[in-house]
Amino acid sequence: MKDRSILKGLDRRQVLAGLGAAATLPLMPRTALAADVKQITVTSYGGIWERAIRECFVTDFKARTGVDAEVLIGGPPQWISQIEANKDNPPIHVLVATPDSAAVAVKAGLVDPISVEKVPNLANVPQQFIDMALGHGAAFDYGAAGLAYNKDTVKNPPKSIKEFVERTIAGEWKAGLPTISYAPAPQAFVWSFADALGGGVENLDPFFAAMQKMRPNVVFWTGVTDFLNLMDAGEVDIGVYYDGRTWAHYDTGKTYIDFINPEEGGVMSPVCTMKVKNAPEIAWEYVNSMLAPGPQAEFAKILNYGVTNTQVQYDELRQKRITPWEKTRFPPNDRIGELLPAWTERWNKEIGA
Amino acid sequence: MTTPTGTAEQPTTSPRSGLWSRGAGHYQSVGEWWILPAAIFLVVFFVVPLVENAEKSIALSQLLRPGTGDGYYLKLFTDPYYLWVIGQTVILSVGVTAICVVVGYPIALYLVRHAGRWSGLVIFLLIAPLLTSIIMRTFGWRVLFARRGLFNETLMDIGWIERPIAFLNGPVPAVIGLVHVLVPFMILSIASVLRNIDIGLEESARLLGAGRIRTFMSVTLPLSLDGIGTGAILVFLLANGSFVTLLLLGGGSIQTLPLLIYQQFNTTRDFGFASAMSNVLLVVALACLYLQLRLIRRRGVKGG
Repeated sequence: MKDRSILKGLDRRQVLAGLGAAATLPLMPRTALAADVKQITVTSYGGIWERAIRECFVTDFKARTGVDAEVLIGGPPQWISQIEANKDNPPIHVLVATPDSAAVAVKAGLVDPISVEKVPNLANVPQQFIDMALGHGAAFDYGAAGLAYNKDTVKNPPKSIKEFVERTIAGEWKAGLPTISYAPAPQAFVWSFADALGGGVENLDPFFAAMQKMRPNVVFWTGVTDFLNLMDAGEVDIGVYYDGRTWAHYDTGKTYIDFINPEEGGVMSPVCTMKVKNAPEIAWEYVNSMLAPGPQAEFAKILNYGVTNTQVQYDELRQKRITPWEKTRFPPNDRIGELLPAWTERWNKEIGA
Repeated sequence: MTTPTGTAEQPTTSPRSGLWSRGAGHYQSVGEWWILPAAIFLVVFFVVPLVENAEKSIALSQLLRPGTGDGYYLKLFTDPYYLWVIGQTVILSVGVTAICVVVGYPIALYLVRHAGRWSGLVIFLLIAPLLTSIIMRTFGWRVLFARRGLFNETLMDIGWIERPIAFLNGPVPAVIGLVHVLVPFMILSIASVLRNIDIGLEESARLLGAGRIRTFMSVTLPLSLDGIGTGAILVFLLANGSFVTLLLLGGGSIQTLPLLIYQQFNTTRDFGFASAMSNVLLVVALACLYLQLRLIRRRGVKGG
């Protein structure tokens, strides 16, 4: 009978020796493994973001180092859980995270402190964008969370969040709003609306009162691309969304879509890049690519998001589209992080999961 | 059991082992250690994580409320909201299972008794959706139930409604989405049992004067209860743990434990509470499973 075993040609002693060698791999010094790194694992949101990450940062990193970068799609809470589960040999080497998630990663000791010595391009990033990552990374881009709408069905768009709420309650349109399970929703939606309606981080009553009244005219979305699907299907006419992604959708031929930075100010929504602790040292080079002016300018061109390196010059179109950070509101990320479990429970009880 | 020579014989049982391997023309007893790999696998990947999960739910609860080990469980069993969620999880799973039986049984019967040479095609059509991502299938329902989707457009075209119904905010799409995903498991379970029912028994009943319905109710249905039971267990357990469909359909109108567990991991990162919820979900599932098995056995059909 033909021997189909994959172990054909190996005797028991050789197999045992191989298994023994494999078992000692985790015990080897990390530097020994890092010296021979062929690939690192980096992170990205889905949709157009993934394409931009690959084309701008992965390409630059690979060209400079010869090392490949596998892009893992998902969201910061999920990535942080994955890193926490295997701190000594993390499955992710560069984390992108919203400031609240970045704070979680720093407090859990999952990321390394950043410095100009390790990341030369950090020298051209304003301090406020480094502070957002608590000195363990830096924001490399930012968006403004305002309102995206369908020009064909909303002829007279609202100018402020307050007006949007009143006219949603009146049933003038169907609104697409993120659920609390969407990671940036607590800042980009819950705090933003509470703040605009006279409440704040310590008082969500105006937000929940408005939600109860808006509910019949609301469809919830669970992910960034989900909102665009709802818009394309005609399921919603307007909703909370980001400037950059709105313009990226516009550029795909969906010219019905437009963006409003509300009078109260859109919510500053930066994304930080951080090197994971125990990741190969070469991962710093990827962080450096993410903060480099060339790749950042390309990133801004694809996503229409603001970027943080002061050397970047936007083209005319991007200057028109990108919301200046002075016209945004900075949410109290630390406090929101502390209150999030209570907010989530209240949301579940009053609005639904 | 049949030997290679075709003669029926019972294996000689050993008091030390119930496991058998076929040797040169006869069965030989083998040692219990043959089950060792499977047992180790189960212990490492099922029992140990379960124990760790239970330990974590209590340890983290103690951190939260020093001196008590039951903070999360107390909350789950005393807060009316969480009791309501537990109840809704069970009701949804039972409801979806019942709908799958009603929808799946006629299809299984058709497949076995009437499809003939088309049975291969019917099985392919049943299995084909399983080859597609559950997210794609669920998004398909979203398109159909949208304000400008097929259902609303059709209802408006025939004049039954004047303005689109907000289907996506209600529980109906979520239930339909779950049934769509799970009904193949029910059909295949029932069909495999129906196929083994001796058609002569039904013909005898008809010869003795029973009508089609009486024959079905007195012969076919009782003999196929095993298939319904297997399908019900499969569908119930899958519905009990599903969350992707409920995340994308229903607009938050249905809240179940898996959705809240996902939220604890994804949003609040309260792993202790997630562990406690998953333990409660497991116990609820086991309790329902026990009741289902008792019910099937009471009907006079041997249990699994």
